[in-house]
Amino acid sequence: MKVKVNDTELELAPGTSAIDAVFAAGYDVPYFCSQEYMSPIGACRMCLAKVGAPRQDRATGEWILDEETGEPKIFYFPTLMATCTTAIMEGMVIDTLSDEVRGAQNGMVEFTLINHPLDCPVCDKGGACELQDRAYEYGSGLSRFRFDKRHQEKHHALSELITLDRERCIHCKRCVRYFEEVPGDEVLDFIERGGHTYIGTLGEGLPSNFTGNITDICPVGALLDATSRFRGRNWEYDHTRTTGLDDASGSAIIVDARTGRIERIKAALNAEVNKSWIDDGTRFGHEYVDAEDRIKTPLVRKEGELVPVTWEEATGYVKAKLEGIADKELGIVLRADATLEEGVAAKALADHLQTGQLDHCPRPKASVLPEGDAARFTDLATADAIFVIGDVSEEVPAVDLRIKDALKGVSPPASLPHGVPIADLRLKERMPRKAGLLTVAAPYRVDLMRHAGRSVCYPVGGETAFLSALVKLATVEDELSEEEVAALGMPVDEGRALIERLAQAQNAVIVYGSFVLASPAARNAVIALAKAVKAKVMVMGPMANSYGLEAIGVMPSHARYSYQQMIRGGAKALILSGLDPAQDPSVAEALKDLELLVVHHHFANATTALADVVLPAKTGYEKDGTVVNLEGRYLPVRSAPVDGGQSEDFTGLVRYLGEALGVRLDGRSTRSAKRALNHLLAVDLRDLPDEGLLAKAKSRPLRRVSVKEQEAVSGNVLLVPSMVRPEFVSRNPQLRAAFGDVALCLHPDDADQMKLVGGERVRLSVDGTLRKATVRVSETVPQGIMLLPATPEQPVGLVSADLATLVKESSELEVA
Amino acid sequence: MIELETVKPFFTDKDELLDEILGRYPEYGRRSAIMPLLWEVQRAERHVSEARIEEIAEILGMHATEVKGVMSFYSTYHEQPVGEYHLQVCSTLSCSLAGADEMTDFLVEELGIVNGETDAEGRFSLQKVECLGSCGTAPVLQVNDTYFERVTRTRCVQLLQALRSGELPEPWRERGGDNVSAEKATLGGDDA
Repeated sequence: MKVKVNDTELELAPGTSAIDAVFAAGYDVPYFCSQEYMSPIGACRMCLAKVGAPRQDRATGEWILDEETGEPKIFYFPTLMATCTTAIMEGMVIDTLSDEVRGAQNGMVEFTLINHPLDCPVCDKGGACELQDRAYEYGSGLSRFRFDKRHQEKHHALSELITLDRERCIHCKRCVRYFEEVPGDEVLDFIERGGHTYIGTLGEGLPSNFTGNITDICPVGALLDATSRFRGRNWEYDHTRTTGLDDASGSAIIVDARTGRIERIKAALNAEVNKSWIDDGTRFGHEYVDAEDRIKTPLVRKEGELVPVTWEEATGYVKAKLEGIADKELGIVLRADATLEEGVAAKALADHLQTGQLDHCPRPKASVLPEGDAARFTDLATADAIFVIGDVSEEVPAVDLRIKDALKGVSPPASLPHGVPIADLRLKERMPRKAGLLTVAAPYRVDLMRHAGRSVCYPVGGETAFLSALVKLATVEDELSEEEVAALGMPVDEGRALIERLAQAQNAVIVYGSFVLASPAARNAVIALAKAVKAKVMVMGPMANSYGLEAIGVMPSHARYSYQQMIRGGAKALILSGLDPAQDPSVAEALKDLELLVVHHHFANATTALADVVLPAKTGYEKDGTVVNLEGRYLPVRSAPVDGGQSEDFTGLVRYLGEALGVRLDGRSTRSAKRALNHLLAVDLRDLPDEGLLAKAKSRPLRRVSVKEQEAVSGNVLLVPSMVRPEFVSRNPQLRAAFGDVALCLHPDDADQMKLVGGERVRLSVDGTLRKATVRVSETVPQGIMLLPATPEQPVGLVSADLATLVKESSELEVA
Repeated sequence: MIELETVKPFFTDKDELLDEILGRYPEYGRRSAIMPLLWEVQRAERHVSEARIEEIAEILGMHATEVKGVMSFYSTYHEQPVGEYHLQVCSTLSCSLAGADEMTDFLVEELGIVNGETDAEGRFSLQKVECLGSCGTAPVLQVNDTYFERVTRTRCVQLLQALRSGELPEPWRERGGDNVSAEKATLGGDDA
């Protein structure tokens, strides 16, 4: 459609909003209520413009002409129009520059500012405030309002993570709409009306995993991130765009740092991955970086004590020790959120030292690489049938939001010259959701089930049987045996209906995560199911770079060299990065027998207590490198200016150790690692674009490991994925205040039997490791099982806890 | 929470009523039932407590905040219990000119409560409201759902007397016979 904005003519697709036409033409118009990926509602009345269009004669169908010029006559709307809710028409004329329009915009600025306090000098949003900018650009700078402004609560804690200043709110309704439209839970609403309107909740807190996004979209300083409130001004922050290493989604984030400290994390826009949303774990889970007990210098054990040394001395010590250790006796293990570059460095070091004992952890028993047709986020968001096995909202929350996109049935918007449409007219408030296309299966009730047309709770630990039964339904005509029906967790008819729905869909996606990956048989079954119904698969690996590390082969050359074997006597010397296996006392015993234990970590822990050398590790915010998200997308990781002392990532460790050993190893720097990766993957990772690169890499692991199937079919504790990373929760005070401590969830009947009540702090030996947790009682937990968040050392799966070891901490305090 | 556990849910034995109300709307428009459900509760309890809001939210499968948002928009839903007789004095222009302010003062004096209050016995509540749409017959006093028009001092005294003795008089409608009791009303409050 031809549209004319001021003096610029341009061609746009029908259905485009007038506001997008204005921006596409290179002009500006102020707005507060419109927001990318949300419904336009015309609430703020800022985007007013004079809009008109030619008209056709009803009888003849010809354009009505202007008598003077002979051109089609433009019939203007009788009043100025909110361009965000106006769709373009053929020949539409939009005027944003005339005095009339300027006057209206000026009036709206004045009106909006009537009740807005003059807080700018102390407001966290100052300098990055839409209202401030718009008032400057479109306001007259004067107010005629001589009365008292509205006074309301200035420090209302909406939750532990978000503080609301009700005086600053301009009622744009972005936050209210966000909760209903994006995560699909209306936990925040306008209360009262007119000039008394405020946003609020009934009851405490905001029960959602995605609350922090409202602080990003608030056009004023009303909604503020409580972790960063009063910490700095916007122009003082260094804004670093990078990739979140909190989960496998590869969500884009902006790290705002000041004087060497991360003050806040905001969501960045990656239209094909996380859009502009991130979960609260990613946003607020950064405080540990600045924890007081962070290790910032290398340490070497001298006469039983760890003493600070230089990197050269530490690596020299390691080199000397390595000389006495035969090849193949050294083990190297990375945490699975290490970058590809670190992976290359680890491989190069392992190759140089001629050891096959190389691994990453947590590494599920089954491959995290998708087999068959891999689904992208866009496939998920446009799917017409989705089958989820697992708890996506905790595992990779970004997947949860993209599934909710699919339920709306609106395909991702086309990109315009200025980016994502500001007002996508296809989106509406309270759109009907197509819940029927979503089926969620998990061993317990998970949050996404509230949004699913059908949900199934299969028996705990029964993934293989559950999926095999579905495969049988999909491929064989035979009736299911009684056992198989029990494993299915739902009536057979429903199982058949699910298969049918997936098979008939044009774009079906099966999403699975750690529960399935805990067993190769279950993984094979889900792949077979996907093949049978011609669905794409999306695999949620346990950590940010699980996909990448497996793809480049940071893997043991033989099953007997796996991490679990290494730490139990398989290796004589170990270099562990980011891991703490000594939490398990039996492992700690085995580690004591090592000739050399090098621990590369951020914090002192049970393993560093046994280490000969402790090396300070960079956190995910300080590294430069590349990760591969669950789609197989290469995403850049960039370092924010954070004071990590002498911390190095694994490439730094390899550089220093290489120097000590007198070799130049691949991966001694990110540059050399990228060269090696280019050779390995035929993908050039230099200067990756912000949105990442979807390249066809060699999708087979270079080192294959045959795993002997050891199904854990019994146990009383199910380790479950968790958005809040339990290993850091004690050093993330704000996140801990909001989401609580590590929770041990159990059924009310079990709690009664064990004489536990909600809120009690307990210690319990789980699979050999002593875990501390707070009891949470919930009907959603199956009877006879307890749920506890998994850690890198204790990955998702069914394990046994010794109930005799259960100790209540509070009762112990009383005794003391 | 404590309130939730001790107060019996309002809609427990009212399946028929619930079915009737929910049946008015299609499944995707279930949230439309917020208003009639709130209304049912308020009619019975003269206000809607948080526990009831949560109950309604649970019936409709939504968050309590959403129900609260709808409820708080309408000034006719009450968070605190109002008296048995909720006196609403129109205080917009026509009524003001015709003596609504004096009526309010009189009621304040008589009842010992000010705007927005309920008396200790829980019998009377007084509230100044915006235009009741009966400007031609100002001043207007609305008692619960009933209009009393052209309220003079005498009528006001008589009305209060009647209310105190526990009866709500027939409404006085003065809009030219749109009501059966119009004739009676023209006689003023004499027979009230």
